[in-house]
Amino acid sequence: MSSESGLIDRLGGPLVVFGIIGLIVGGALVPYAWGISTDADGRVAVIEVHGAITADTAAAAMEDLREARQNGSIQAVVLDVNSRGGLASVSEQLYLAVKRTSQQMPVTVAVTGSALSGGYYTSIPADSIYVTPASTVGSVGVRATLPPEGAPDNQITTGPDKATTGTRSDVRRRVEALRRAFVGSVMAERDLNLSAEELSYAKVYSGRRGVELGLADGIGGLGAAIDRATDQADLSDYETVRMESPTPSTLSQIGLNGSEAASEHGTDIDMTRYFMLHGRIDALTTADPIEVKANGTQ
Amino acid sequence: MARSDLLKGLSVFALVVLVVVSATVATGTVLLESPEPVSVDASAYDDELLPTPVEDDGSVEPAVDTGTKTVIVDKSHGNDITESELQPLVDALVSAGHDVRFYAGGSSSGLGTGGFSSDSSGLNATLQSADAFVVANPANTYTTGEINGVKAFADAGGRVLMMADPVGPGSSGTSISLPVGTSTGSTVNPGQPTNLAASFGVSFGAGYLFDMTDNANNFQRIHTQPAGNGSLTAGVDRLIVDDPTPLSVDGSNQVVAESTDVQLSSTRQTGTYPVAARNGNVASVGDTGFLQPASATLADNEAFVSNLADFLASGDKEPGVPEPATPSGGGTGGFTQPSQPGTTPTLPSNGTSTPRNGTSP
Repeated sequence: MSSESGLIDRLGGPLVVFGIIGLIVGGALVPYAWGISTDADGRVAVIEVHGAITADTAAAAMEDLREARQNGSIQAVVLDVNSRGGLASVSEQLYLAVKRTSQQMPVTVAVTGSALSGGYYTSIPADSIYVTPASTVGSVGVRATLPPEGAPDNQITTGPDKATTGTRSDVRRRVEALRRAFVGSVMAERDLNLSAEELSYAKVYSGRRGVELGLADGIGGLGAAIDRATDQADLSDYETVRMESPTPSTLSQIGLNGSEAASEHGTDIDMTRYFMLHGRIDALTTADPIEVKANGTQ
Repeated sequence: MARSDLLKGLSVFALVVLVVVSATVATGTVLLESPEPVSVDASAYDDELLPTPVEDDGSVEPAVDTGTKTVIVDKSHGNDITESELQPLVDALVSAGHDVRFYAGGSSSGLGTGGFSSDSSGLNATLQSADAFVVANPANTYTTGEINGVKAFADAGGRVLMMADPVGPGSSGTSISLPVGTSTGSTVNPGQPTNLAASFGVSFGAGYLFDMTDNANNFQRIHTQPAGNGSLTAGVDRLIVDDPTPLSVDGSNQVVAESTDVQLSSTRQTGTYPVAARNGNVASVGDTGFLQPASATLADNEAFVSNLADFLASGDKEPGVPEPATPSGGGTGGFTQPSQPGTTPTLPSNGTSTPRNGTSP
């Protein structure tokens, strides 16, 4: 004990020793203290929904939404939408994912180009949709390609609809069912100055006209959407985290993912596809140009 | 340091580490537990989503038995109609013992009792031995000689059925002159028998009719009701036609079927539009889709198809009409100079229905 006292005394006494220890411990805690004093109240996730809505691109967006819901530091979501839609089934999945997120935290949309067809379907669960005068919204409709009629060549099937998925009347009814779901969802989510019948024309509206009709809430860009989301989340100090959508392939741009593209070469016999897409389906014109639409303009 | 003190210190150390790690795991688990809602309320997905199938339980009856009648289906003007698309009508005629022939210009293939035949003397010569004539979606104009021949055919008791679908935007008025042999002809994309129909007081429209609310599960599949009590709509309460084109008819025609509260695609005007009309021995329908096998039995379509088959089979045409046209009349078949190339035919002045654009066939 006497030797220990001697060591402390040689170092300058107990006060100096404990002071040095305190300095070391305090220095180690500096980063934490700095973080506490300077960290934002929360984060806003800016999730891109760009390009054709395919299984690939939608999977990335839905994963981002899931991350936003599960990450406690993310307290609001802003969707950066610039999409003319894509596959109907995937558009519905994306709609449900956004709706689920909006039940948990503020979600706003900034239409940075087009929010058409499936792209608009994705946007409607948001608390607010911001557009610019030149951006476009709408095209609320469904379309489907039809398989050729008749017995399939070079195949043996167990039923007449095995290779074609159904009769054309079946496809027509399914398109109508999808239209009802799409139009009904828009009518339920938005307070429109537009009847369901008028909406079913599937017109494309400019941003300003979209605000007048209730398809959007205000004029503004990404900043306005972020401001609105942070206001709703009561965040005065926040940081944004951008989650970019994957670069779509050429095939994705026209509404197909890789696996579906393979079907064009004969590996997939299910030739009937349903789209919530504005624009041409070029890849399918050589397979079958016949199309059923659930609206009057596409 | 004693051995016991060392063990005691290690035990305390292990306990503290255990407590810290456990607390960390517990805290992380609590923080990462998803507070997501169990389900998403998508009310629109539950509300009468599935449409009701259209009634489709009828059958087309054989045509009236009036002896063997010959029905010529024109395929010589680039007609956009196939034999399979006319199968219900052909079946109704053939099963009653009538002869249905597809005239392709110079040769014709026959179905039914007549078997195959050939005729190279042109349409008018072919019509001489016919009792009924069917025209659908011709791409080429009918020459003056052919029109006169068909008129004479109808005046002599021959039955004529003209049908046309809406003309696509790329087809409207795009007449192209083609050199054929030493003469010239006129052709367009598959369209409508405009100049032939005009000679019977009928004009086919350019756009299509649609109904956004009361339809057969698609806005282009609309309901059509009989107008009057004509024989063509006997037994018909409601027809379903697929994007029909409206007719404009003069006073000599009687509207047979019309659609109410529907819109015309080209004008977006809501109204009542004639879809079928009859002028004595000439019937006109602004649709061909209802004849297809998948549509011929929807609603009361089968009765309408049966009535059309009866109409074609019940004519009483004088033999030898029309006279073969002279070469100067342009009625010998093939291509000749059209009477009004690329122009709008004279329309009936007392038309009873919708306006139309100036689509040339």
